[in-house]
Amino acid sequence: MNSRRFVPALLASGLLVATFGVPAASAHHAFAAEFDGKSPVLLRGKVTKVEWINPHAWIHVMSAGPSGKVQEWMVEGGTPNTLLRSGVDRNSLKPGTEIVVRGYQSKDKACAPVCKANGRDVTFPDGRKLFIGSSGTGAPKDGSDPNDK
Amino acid sequence: MIRDFLVWLQNDLGKGVGDTAQSWSEALLGSLNLWSLLEGTHLLTLMLFAGTIFVVDLRLLGVTFRRTPISVVSDRVLPLTVAGFALMVATGSALFFAKPLFYYHNIWFRAKLIFLAAAMINITVFHLRAQRNRLAWDAAPTPPLTTRTMAALSLLSWLAVIILGRFMAYDWLECGKPIPHWANVMQACKASEKGAVERLPLTKLQVRAS
Repeated sequence: MNSRRFVPALLASGLLVATFGVPAASAHHAFAAEFDGKSPVLLRGKVTKVEWINPHAWIHVMSAGPSGKVQEWMVEGGTPNTLLRSGVDRNSLKPGTEIVVRGYQSKDKACAPVCKANGRDVTFPDGRKLFIGSSGTGAPKDGSDPNDK
Repeated sequence: MIRDFLVWLQNDLGKGVGDTAQSWSEALLGSLNLWSLLEGTHLLTLMLFAGTIFVVDLRLLGVTFRRTPISVVSDRVLPLTVAGFALMVATGSALFFAKPLFYYHNIWFRAKLIFLAAAMINITVFHLRAQRNRLAWDAAPTPPLTTRTMAALSLLSWLAVIILGRFMAYDWLECGKPIPHWANVMQACKASEKGAVERLPLTKLQVRAS
């Protein structure tokens, strides 16, 4: 290929990736790499800590999972930016807040050192229900993501 | 000692007073836009950096642009590679700064650094040694075996760096999880906040489960 044809081709492919690649890349890693779409969990309990960090915020909640034992769960959410835009911030998720989280447990169900889940939506004490996950990660289409078509 | 420095870097550097004071590292990790911008730039710059270095490596292997002298290819392409590398290092260092201890105890990151060092040594040796009689084979469609070997090593080590970098995002071998002994040793889990947990041999686990 000569350079006169190579350079436009390179630019075009770059543009393609920039247009279509970035929305998919906004998910840090694919859902299926760590979480099990066939293991939905419903966690009801008090928030103990929230890590407002990139690329995923982590909500720590004391709750009884499928095993019935009350223990610490780490629930993965979107980025701090995604959460803020969907209406979740430091004030709405203070430690001690009683919440209900819907999500999917990690493939690794050993719960060591703590249980892990991918969060889909959170219901707050006032009844508000907000999506806390990331879109386009390949998580099951369960209606919790308003961006799902 | 390295770890102590990283603890300071993560928790103390730039920290003000007050309950909600954050170090610079914590502020970057929790930032609304800057961290994502850095990560996005780091990943997209791969196209500039790796894409161009592969062009040069493939020419040195005698696979592409065989009728173009090597010097013509590298003089045009390598400045782009250098610019890409500078961006990769700058954004990569900033991402490391946001989570120093995480990367310190991350087996993928450690392996990535080893291949990064290997690639750098390869480049240095190539420039010092293989380039000496470069004029003799500059226009040759297929350069000599030593040159081709080094190009192959370059290609493979950069691929390893990229693949290992990708794996850093996954928590399969995270400290604190029951992981094989070698993984605990190789990422110094014992010194980490979450400690080292040895995975029981599979047979024992099966007995416990039944």
